[in-house]
Order: sequence, then C-alpha cells, then structure tokens
Amino acid sequence: MAANAIDQTRRMLSLVTYLRERPGARVADVARAFGITEDELISDLDVLPLCGTSFRGGDLLDIDTDGERIWWRNPGALAAEAAAPLRIAADEATALLVAARAVSTLPGLRESDRQALLRATAKLETAAGEAAGASSRLSVTFESEGGVFADVDRAISERRRLWIRYYSPARDELSEREIDPIRLVSVGHTYVEAWCRRSEARRTFRLDRVAEIRILDEPSAPPEVELRDLSEGLVQPAAEDPEVVVEVGPGGRWVAEYYPHDSADELPDGGLRITLRTPDPASLRRLALRLGRDGRIVSPQDLADSAQRAARAALAAYDELVAGPAGTPAPAGGRVGAPYGNADGPAEAPVGGPVDRQEQAL
Amino acid sequence: MAISKAERLMNLALCLLGTRRPLSKRELRGSIEAYLEAGSDDSFNRMFERDKDDLRELGLVIETVENLDGEVGYLARRDSNRLPPVTLDAEEAAALGLAAKVWQQARLAGAASGALQKLRAAGLPEDVDPYGAHGALEPHIPVHEAAFEPLMLACRDRRPVAFEYRKATAARPELRQVEPWALECWRGHWYLAGWDRERGAERVFRLSRITGKVRNRPGKFTAAVPDVVTVRETVASWAGETADRSALIRLRAGAGYPLRAKAVSVRELGDGWEELEIPYGHGLDAWLVEFGPDVVVLEPAELRADVVDRLRAVAKG
Repeated sequence: MAANAIDQTRRMLSLVTYLRERPGARVADVARAFGITEDELISDLDVLPLCGTSFRGGDLLDIDTDGERIWWRNPGALAAEAAAPLRIAADEATALLVAARAVSTLPGLRESDRQALLRATAKLETAAGEAAGASSRLSVTFESEGGVFADVDRAISERRRLWIRYYSPARDELSEREIDPIRLVSVGHTYVEAWCRRSEARRTFRLDRVAEIRILDEPSAPPEVELRDLSEGLVQPAAEDPEVVVEVGPGGRWVAEYYPHDSADELPDGGLRITLRTPDPASLRRLALRLGRDGRIVSPQDLADSAQRAARAALAAYDELVAGPAGTPAPAGGRVGAPYGNADGPAEAPVGGPVDRQEQAL
Repeated sequence: MAISKAERLMNLALCLLGTRRPLSKRELRGSIEAYLEAGSDDSFNRMFERDKDDLRELGLVIETVENLDGEVGYLARRDSNRLPPVTLDAEEAAALGLAAKVWQQARLAGAASGALQKLRAAGLPEDVDPYGAHGALEPHIPVHEAAFEPLMLACRDRRPVAFEYRKATAARPELRQVEPWALECWRGHWYLAGWDRERGAERVFRLSRITGKVRNRPGKFTAAVPDVVTVRETVASWAGETADRSALIRLRAGAGYPLRAKAVSVRELGDGWEELEIPYGHGLDAWLVEFGPDVVVLEPAELRADVVDRLRAVAKG
C-alpha cells in the first residue's frame, strides 16, 4: 500500500524528532501523542533501526524498546539539524485547515472553541506559508441549527435530559419526547445521537427538524451503549426490513443518489430499477408522490395504491376549488397538462431531487 | 525478505536531510540497501524518481544541483525544510486535534494526522482534548465519490481533466473537458466548480454523477481562475433555496411543519385549514406534492398547474 508507506514515512520522520528529545519515552504516551495504536508504534520502531544516513557505517539509528519505554542509544547518528521538525506539506496544510475552518463555522459551537480554532488556523497558515495556498481550493460547510446545537451541547456537558418536539418527515407529524443526549455528529447536516426515553432505544435526530427544545432539570442517564461508526451513513437499513422496488425514468435517477439501496439496475430507457429496504415502507409514500411521472413504486402494492389514493384525494380538492364558493381564487389560465414550467433548471441541477431525503427512516 | 517501501523512503529522506553537500545518484545508490538490491539501472532509476516524488508529496523540498563536473546531486536543505517556530496553547492544540479527526478520506486523513504529528514533534502541547474526553462532538467530512481524489489533486496542481458526466435527467453520460477550480462539500455532497472548455463557461458538477475515471489532460489552464469560486450559491439555487417569489397555499392544521417553519405568514381559515404564504423557488412543486391531500396550492396559477400535473401522473397509477 503506497499511501500507507507515505503515511508511515511521514510519521517516522516526526518520531525521530520527537524521540530525540525524550530519552526513555513511554510507548503508551508516544502512541497517544501521535494518534496511533501501540502496535503501529512498535512496527515503526522495528523499521527505524534499519534507517540512517548510510547503511554501511555504524550510523544506523540505534532505537530500541522493551515494549514499555523507548531508548535511542546513539542520538549522535543524526545531526541535530537533520532531526529538526519538518515543514508542513501542501496536502497536510489543506487537510487540517479545511477541517478546522469547517468546524469553526459550525453554528452553535461554543465561542471559546471557535476562537481557539480560529487562532490555531491563523498560526497554522503562517507556519505552513506557501503550502497553505492550495487549501482554498477545498471547502466544506456543516449545516446546523445554532440554538438547538448550543442547547444540546450544554445538556451533554452538564449531563442533563432534554425535551424536544421533533418533526418526522415519514409521518409528517411532530412528536414530543425526552432524550438523553450522547453526542453531536456533523455529516453535512448535524445530528444528535441520544437515548430516546419514549422508545427506550437509541435514536438519531437531525437538528433542523427539532421544532422546540428545553433543557430539563433531570439528569441524563443514557445506558452504556457502544457507539456506532457513523462514517458509512446514519441510515443503515437492516436485512430484515421490507423491500421496496421503485422504477424511475431518467428524471428520477436522483433517487439512487439520495436513498441507500441494495441495487440499482439500468433500464433500457435510461432509467433505473432500484431496490431498497426500509423498516417502514409507508414512509415512502412521499417519494411516490414526488416522483410523479418520473417513476413509480413497483412493490409493495399497498404502497403504490396509497400514493394513488392520496393523489386522487388531492386532485379532488382542486376540483372543489374550481366549483367552490365565491371568494375562493379560481385557477387562472388552467395550464392543465402543460409541460413542467420551472422544473428544468440548469444543466447539472439535481432536478426535482430533494436535497436531503436519505434519513427517511429516522 | 524484500525491503519495505517505508524503510527505503526513510533512508532516502535521512540521507538527503543529513547531508550538507549534494549527493549524486551514485552515492545514494551506494548508501541505501534497497537501491543496491534494485537490480538494473533502469529499475533503480524508476524507483528513485518515484521515491523523490513521494517524499515531495509529504513535504520534503528536494533540490537538484549540478556540480562543476556536470554531475547531478540532490539534497534537502535544512533551512527550506524546517518548520518555522509555531507556538500553540493547549486549547489551540485541542482544536487542531479535533480537526485532524474530521476527514474520512484516506489520503486527507493521513495528511491531517501527519500535520499534527509534525506539530507534535515541534512541541505541540499534549493536553486532553476537551471534546475527546466524552467524544461529544464528531464532525465528519464524508467522501464517498471515487472522483474526489483525482479532482482534488487536479485542483491543487491546476491540471485540466476530462470525465464522463451524466446530467441529472440524462440517460447517457457525456464527455466533459474541464479546468477544475475548486471542490466544495455542502449537505454531505461534493461539487466541483470549473471551466467547461466546450461550453466556454463556468459549470458546477456533482461528483456523484461522474461516471468512470477522471483523466488528466496535458497542457495548462486556458481560462483565468476567478479569485472567489462560489459553488454553494449555485447549488443552493438548484435546491430551491433562493426564492424570488412567493406562493399561497392551504395547509391542513397539524400537517406540514417544515412548510409552516418557512412561512412568511399564516392565517387561520377554520375547518381545520390554514392559509400560508411561502417562498417559491425551484423545485417547490415537487415538494408540495409530497404532502398529498394536506396541501392545496392557491397561487400562482403556474405552480398550481405544475402540482396538478404531477398529481395526475400519480393518480393514473
């Protein structure tokens, strides 16, 4: 793995600098300082004695460990200048600066943390010099509701329970619940992972769907739960969840981008046949309605039927409106059956695609 | 046993950093065991060139100097490779510690930890991360798109690229020739802004719609790179976030909280209905249809026709 060799080389160069000034450093402390496991550190320590300015002389690095402490027996093998801390590379500056800037703009972040991030960013920019330039070519925005974020953050640090009124798009309704917050996770949008006292289960809530929030006096006492790795997405459908099959035309291909799915097979007309799983197929009625002529639910049949019934009921209201009492605005022009007016947009637009519907199961 | 690449790179780095005079390829080959074992001149030369590139990738400034006899030598000068003095307090160190964990993409995650390790070696305080203690804040930058890394490098090095791109509503992808300017992640999705050579105009691309490989193109940029590239504004307008008009709808009481949260005004109609004035931007028709019989569009007629049209398509089954 080339990338690993580069990461390892970079790390070993820093280790050399670090260890030179700390004779007898503890393995556990060094691993923590470098953000690596003790095993990774030991494997670096296996390579370092094979390195030096020349393999022929006696000037290989005599670095040794008994598994607990690390000793460098010939620090003179490397001139002090050769072991000086190395400048920051362009990719390193980009990685750290882009992340620090993204976090510092998170609405709701504690002001002291934001200030620390901004100070650190400025110092890093100065230290990196020219290498910092390319970092402007990447940027990341985290979305968050500042007020809700601040309350959740406070509740976590003070270990207090929260009361929320929360919007569920699947049901199109608000519900009240008490939650014991565990952590805040930002992946594009910001979520609070919490123990929900109503369902007695772990739940994830998107902050912009919290309609109201109150910090309660009761202590928060979430049971010890193993934290999930959320990097693969917040919605991880279970194998036992019912299957839904959707067929879309070219205009409905966005469904495959927004909904985690088991398969998406190309159809001859440029559309897709998408198979996905959800614990609650009824929650996909919204999708069926939104798709319009760009797609349809193939199965389950009840879901297709319920979308059809909803559309008919909705249309009935428009008929009533036309025949309705005086004073109700009548539809002017009645461009029935006309092609979509504003639905096309720019060439690369996610036309008709919702910006965020993937958390439908929450 | 073959000598590991990390060992070889490390030896080359130490030789170049440890020398005060340029070292010739011959000298380096004689000093580094992995190069002695490289076999033919050709394979040594290839290996050596790659290794220099890799070391430059992790920040080493390697100079090439020709001596009086015309022999080329290499060295990594101390003054150009040393980190300038940087003093960070415990809070700043903790802030960077949090930032270093944000990337989910292997290359940038490695680079972020590498930067932190360099700072650590330079004396960055090792105090406990205020969030790390209970892990209460976890920002992640998701990168699922294969096109990300090649585009990131192309933006960095200002290299033109070509890729197959499938527009939102197109059945087939199309080849695009692009001078890539900047990448931006918004709501968890990556977008590229750049100069589309065939269209002779600025374009924004969504990375998940790039199919196949991103290929580098020879030559330089032909269009000027703007000082400020604004991807988010473009994408936000696609998403209907930049409304210039408003619409009047009837909404069933208790339903459609997000519509209510966006409403400019709400008026009680009785009979369990309310009348709302809401911003009308791109895509509003599709969104309103999601609410089925709980929403009735009153004005404008154009929006109403779009919604009715969509409902008819679903009603037909």
